Amino acid sequence: MSTKEETPVADGDKPQTSSWKDSIYNPRTGEFIGRTAKSWALILLFYLVFYGFLAGMFTLTMWVMLQTLDDNIPTYRDRVASPGLVIRPRSLDIVFNRTDTKQYVQYVQHLENFLQQYNDTVQERNELCMVGEYYEQDDQEEKKVCQFKRSLLRQCSGLSDTTFGYTEGKPCVLVKMNRIIGLKPRGDPYINCTAKRESPLQMQYFPSEGRFDKMYFPYYGKNLHSTYVQPLVAVKLLLTKEDYNNELTVECKIEGSDLRNSDDRDKFLGRVTFRVKVVE
Amino acid sequence: MGYGRSDSYRVATSQDKDGKSSPSKKNKKGKDMDELKKEVPITEHKMSIEECCRKFNTDIVQGLTNAKAAEFLIRDGPNCLTPPPTTPEWIKFCRQLFGGFSILLWTGAILCFLAYAIQAATEDEPAGDNLYLGIVLSVVVVVTGCFSYFQEAKSSKIMESFKNMVPQQALVIREGEKMTINAEEVVAGDLVEVKGGDRIPADLRVVSAHGCKVDNSSLTGESEPQSRSPDCTHDNPLETRNVAFFSTNCVEGTARGIVVCTGDRTVMGRIATLTSGLESGKTPIAKEIEHFIHLITGVAVFLGITFFILAVCLGYTWLEAVIFLIGIIVANVPEGLLATVTVCLTLTAKRMAKKNCLVKNLEAVETLGSTSTICSDKTGTLTQNRMTVAHMWFDNQIHEADTTEDQSGASFDKTSASWAALARVAALCNRAVFKAGQDQLPILKRDTAGDASESALLKCIELSCGSVKQIREKNKKVAEIPFNSTNKYQLSVHETEDPNDNRYLLVMKGAPERILDRCTTIIIQGKEQPMDEEMKESFQNAYMELGGLGERVLGFCHLLMPEDQYPKGFAFDCDDVNFTTESLCFVGLMSMIDPPRAAVPDAVGKCRSAGIKVIMVTGDHPITAKAIAKGVGIISEGNETVEDIASHHTGSRSANSLCSLMFPLLSLSDAKACVIHGTDLKELSQDQMDDILRNHTEIVFARTSPQQKLIIVEGCQRLGAIVAVTGDGVNDSPALKKADIGVAMGISGSDVSKQAADMILLDDNFASIVTGVEEGRLIFDNLKKSIAYTLTSNIPEITPFLLFIIVNIPLPLGTITILCIDLGTDMVPAISLAYEAAESDIMKRQPRNPTRDKLVNERLISIAYGQIGMIQALGGFFSYFVILAENGFLPSILVGIRLNWDDRACNDLEDSYGQQWTYEQRKIVEFTCHTAFFVSIVVVQWADVIVCKTRRNSVFQQGMKNKILIFGLFEETALAAFLSYTPGMDVALRMFPLKPSWWFCAVPYSVLIFVYDEIRKLLIRRNPGGKWLSLSLYNI
Repeated sequence: MSTKEETPVADGDKPQTSSWKDSIYNPRTGEFIGRTAKSWALILLFYLVFYGFLAGMFTLTMWVMLQTLDDNIPTYRDRVASPGLVIRPRSLDIVFNRTDTKQYVQYVQHLENFLQQYNDTVQERNELCMVGEYYEQDDQEEKKVCQFKRSLLRQCSGLSDTTFGYTEGKPCVLVKMNRIIGLKPRGDPYINCTAKRESPLQMQYFPSEGRFDKMYFPYYGKNLHSTYVQPLVAVKLLLTKEDYNNELTVECKIEGSDLRNSDDRDKFLGRVTFRVKVVE
Repeated sequence: MGYGRSDSYRVATSQDKDGKSSPSKKNKKGKDMDELKKEVPITEHKMSIEECCRKFNTDIVQGLTNAKAAEFLIRDGPNCLTPPPTTPEWIKFCRQLFGGFSILLWTGAILCFLAYAIQAATEDEPAGDNLYLGIVLSVVVVVTGCFSYFQEAKSSKIMESFKNMVPQQALVIREGEKMTINAEEVVAGDLVEVKGGDRIPADLRVVSAHGCKVDNSSLTGESEPQSRSPDCTHDNPLETRNVAFFSTNCVEGTARGIVVCTGDRTVMGRIATLTSGLESGKTPIAKEIEHFIHLITGVAVFLGITFFILAVCLGYTWLEAVIFLIGIIVANVPEGLLATVTVCLTLTAKRMAKKNCLVKNLEAVETLGSTSTICSDKTGTLTQNRMTVAHMWFDNQIHEADTTEDQSGASFDKTSASWAALARVAALCNRAVFKAGQDQLPILKRDTAGDASESALLKCIELSCGSVKQIREKNKKVAEIPFNSTNKYQLSVHETEDPNDNRYLLVMKGAPERILDRCTTIIIQGKEQPMDEEMKESFQNAYMELGGLGERVLGFCHLLMPEDQYPKGFAFDCDDVNFTTESLCFVGLMSMIDPPRAAVPDAVGKCRSAGIKVIMVTGDHPITAKAIAKGVGIISEGNETVEDIASHHTGSRSANSLCSLMFPLLSLSDAKACVIHGTDLKELSQDQMDDILRNHTEIVFARTSPQQKLIIVEGCQRLGAIVAVTGDGVNDSPALKKADIGVAMGISGSDVSKQAADMILLDDNFASIVTGVEEGRLIFDNLKKSIAYTLTSNIPEITPFLLFIIVNIPLPLGTITILCIDLGTDMVPAISLAYEAAESDIMKRQPRNPTRDKLVNERLISIAYGQIGMIQALGGFFSYFVILAENGFLPSILVGIRLNWDDRACNDLEDSYGQQWTYEQRKIVEFTCHTAFFVSIVVVQWADVIVCKTRRNSVFQQGMKNKILIFGLFEETALAAFLSYTPGMDVALRMFPLKPSWWFCAVPYSVLIFVYDEIRKLLIRRNPGGKWLSLSLYNI
C-alpha cells in the first residue's frame, strides 16, 4: 500500500523536470529514447536472432514449396486456358506519316528485331513438320521445334520490302498468339481482322488465310522447348488514299477454333484491337 | 449543524487559492467557487407575510389571479431546472464523423477522388478503381461514424429515461380555488400547499404550517427532518425555519407558502447550474485512446510521407505515388478498431447495468477500473440506511441482536423474563406503526410511519415477539407523554393484559441516564431487585460500551401502578402530570445503529486487496462513523487510529480526543488509520491535508458537510489518485463532477446528483461499486487484448505495399482486401476478446497507474508489430509466392516485374515457363493472390486471437471457454470463404476462389505464432520481472 502511494511521487519528478530533449537522450541516466545502450543492444540482439530465425523458416517453407514444383510445367494452367493475341509492332496506336521516315522507323525497327528469330537461316535448323497435324512429342526427351520461316510472311517479311509497307502507306502488322504450355487448339484457327467502319477494308493475310498451323502446337515450355517459335500471321492493311488522315480501328480475332475470343473483361483474349492512322 | 454550506465553500475556495494548479484553471474554478460562496439571495424570509404578498402581487387567501400567473410564467419561464448545456446532436455526429482515424481516412478518400479526377482528365478510359476505393472509404467512415454515434446515443438515452420519470404535481391556490397543476407551471407569488410526502415544488416562504417537517438532507446534508413555521428564526435563509426549498421533501404535516423563486433561481437550481459549469476532465480511457490514435496516426503519416517521397525519387509518377500513399494510409489505420472499442465498452456497460451499475458515459466503464481511491458515503451506501436494534442490556448482560439484512445472524436468549418485560415496554412505549398493506413483505423491508429509532424497536419486537399490534391491543393505551427535549423521555400508561388485573402499567423510555435517575429497582431474571451502587456501575459500563460502539442507546423502565392510588378509570392528565414518574423499575437498555450492509465488509476487503483506498466521508458523529468503519473494515481490525494512540498516551479515552485532532499527533505515523472531524478539516492547510492522505491508509472523515467532499477529492487527485466519489445530495454534485468518476445513488439520490454523476448505483450498495471496479479492470485488460489483436494484422497489411514499392513485385494485397480484414473478419474476434474471463484475480493487484500503464505501450506495439505481425506477414507472403509460383511465376522473376505486370498494353508477359499472359489473365492471378493473402491473414489471426486471449497464462491454463471467441473463429473463416467463393465477388470485390491447398499455406506460420507465444509466456511466467526480456517480450 505504502509503496503504491509513493510511486506517483517517484515517477512524478521525471516527466515534470525533464524536457522533451531528455526523452530522446537523457544524460543523467544515459538513456536514449527511454533505454540504456545496453538495453538497446539486447533488444537489437533479440530482434536479430528472431528475424534470423524467421528468415530461416521462410526460406525453408519456400524451399519446400519449390521442391513440389515441376521444372517444365506449372502446377496450374487454368488461369491461362485460352491464349491472348498481341500485335507487333508493340503499339496499339500506329500513327505515322508515310512520307516521314523518322515517324515509322521505330515500327520498322521493332518488326525487324522481332523477326530476327524467324530468319530463314535460323529456322532451317528446325524440323519440317507435317502440315495440319499436332506435333506431339510427349515421350521424347528432346522436344523439337517446327520451323516457321520469315519468308512465309512474303510481303510482310521485311525481306523484299524492308519497310514492311510503311512507306507505301499499307503497313504490315504481325499478329501473334500467346504461348501456352500444352495448348492444342481444336478446329482450324485463323486470324480475321475487320476494320470498324461501314465499308470493309482490304487486307492481305500471310501465310494465306491467316492460318496458324497445328504443327506449331503443343508448346512444351521454355525449359524443354527453348528454341520454340510461335507461329505468326501478318496482316497487311491495304489502305487507300481515302483512308489517310482518318483513324482506323481494326480488330483481329482468332476464329475457326475453340479458342475464346469474346471475353467481356479481357479485351486481349483471342482478339486484339488497335488503331491505325496514316498521315500523308 | 454549525456548518452551513456557505462556510464550507469558503473553505473550498481557500484550499484552491493555496493550490499550485495552473493559473487558468484556478481562475475559472475560483470564479465558480465564488459564485457558490455567495449568500443565497433570498430576503423574503425576513419580510413579513404582508410585505411578501405585496412584493409578488399576491393574496394570502386568494392566491394569484390566473392572468397574473400566466403573465409571470411568461416572464420567468417554467419552473424547472435548465438541463446542463448539451452539445447539439449534429456536433456530436460530426465529432464521430471527423474524430479519431476518420480524418486520415477522409484524406485517403479525397486523395482517391483526386487521383480519379486526374486520371479522368488525362486518360480516355480511366480505371474506376480509385473512384471505387474513394467511395468505399467514404462509406466506411460514414458507417463507422454512424455506428459509434448510435452507440453513444443509446447509452445517453438510458439517462434520459431516468429523468422525467414522474411528472411533478403541485397544489396551488389561484383566485381562491385549489388546483393541482404541473409543478413546471408554478410561478413566483403562487400560494402553494404541501403535505407530508410531497416534494416541495419551488422555494417557498412559509405562511402557515401544521407540524410540518422537511427533509433538507439533499441540500444541507442534515439527516434529521426539520420543522417549518412562519417565523423567521435566522438571518441565513438556509437556516431559517420559514423557507422550504425546491426539490426537498415534506416529511410530515402540512404547510402553505408563497413561492419566492422558481426554476434555476432556486437554491437547488443555482447549485445545479454552477455544477454543470464545472469542467470535468477527460476520462482516462479517452486519454488512452487519444494517445493511441496519435501514435497510429503518427506512424501512418510518417510511413505515408516517407514512401511518397521515396516513390517520387524512385521515378514513379505523382499519381502512382499518391495511390501508394492511399494504400499505406488504409493499411495503417485499423478502421474497425474504434468501433470495436465502443462495442466492448457497451457490452461491459450492459453487464454492469445488470449488476446495478448504470453507466451514463461509456468511457466511465473503464475509469472505475483504474480507480485508486473511493470516497464513499456512509449512510445508505455502506449501511442499510435503517436503524436497527443492535444490542440490548438486561439481566446485567449485553445481548447482541441480529442486524443482518436477511436475519441470518445469531440470536440471543429470548427466554428470560426480563426480555419479556423489556420487549413489552419497547412495544408499548412506541408510536411507530407499520404502514398498511405490507403483510407479505419481510418485516425488515416494511415501511413504517414514525421516527427511525421507534421503527427500529418496532421491527425488533415484531421479529422476536410477534405482532406488536396485538400486544398494543391487549394493553390499551390510556395516556401518553410524547418525547420532548426537556424531559428526554417518553411515557405511556396502559391497561394490563390480564383482565382481572386492574392495575395500570406505566412504561417509559428515554435517555438512559435520565431513566436511571427515576428508577429505584431493576429487573434481574424477571425479579425486581433494589438498584444498588454495583448495579449502577454495571449499567454505567454497559452504557459506555454501547455508546463506544457508536450506537444510539435508549433506557427502558416500567411500573405497575398500585391499584389503591390509581384505580380503574383514573384520569391521567398528561399536561399536568398527576401520577408518579419516579421510583420506577429499570428494565434494560436497547441500542440501535444503522448496520452495515451484508456485502460491504467483503467488498471493502476486495478493495483493499485490489489496492484501492476506501475513504469514508460522512456527516455522522465520529464515534458512529468509526464504529461503522471498523464494522465494514475501512478501519481494519487491530489498526489503531491516531486518537486511539493518543488516548493511550494521555490515558483518557473521552470522545473529545477524537474530535480535537492534535497536529503533533500526526507524526505518529505508526497509526495507519485516522478519523478526521469536519471542523478540523476546515483548519488544515493543503500540505497537512496531503500528509494525512498520504500517510494514512485508512481514513474516515466525520461530521463533514457535503461540500468538504470537494476538498477531499481534490486532495486525493493532487496525489495522483483516480478518485471515485459517491454522493446523493445536491451539494455532493460539485464533488461528483470533480471526481474522476462520480457515483450517484439510484434510490436516494437527487436528480441533480444523478445529472452530475458518471455512474448510478441502482441499489445504492457499495458492493456494486466493487463489481463495477472489477468489470472496469477486466475491460481494460480485454481492450488491450483486442487492440493487440487488431493492430497485429496491420503489419501484414502494410508490408505488401512497402515491398511493392521497393522491390517492384506485383501487389500482394489490395486496399479492398485490407478493408475486408479490418472491417470484416477481424471485427468479431476482436469483440469476442471483450468476453474473455480474467486471467488471474484482477482484484488482487494494484490499480493501474495512469502515467505508466498505458493502453497501448511500446511493448504492445513491439510484440504486435515487431513479432507476431512479422510472422503473419511472412505467412501472407508465403501463400502469395505459392500461388504465383504454382501459376508459373517463380519468385526469381518477380522482382522488378511490376512495370510490365501493371502495364495494360503488355499482353504477352512471359512467365518462368515461357507462357505468355494477357493483362487481365495475370491480374486475375494477382487478385487470387490478394484473396490468398487475405485468407492467410485470417488463418494467422486464428492463432493471434488465441494468443491474445492471455497475457501471461498459457492457453492451456486459460482454456477455451469463451464461446463468443470460438464463434468468432468460425465466423471469420466462414466470412473469408464467403468472400472468396461467392459468385460475383470477382466483379464486386475482385476476390477469386482459392484452391483448397492454398488455405493451408499460412498454417505453419499460424502454428509458429502459437508456439512462439506460448514460449514467450512461459518465459514470462518463469522469470517474473525478468529484466531485458521483459522490455521486449512483455505486453503487460
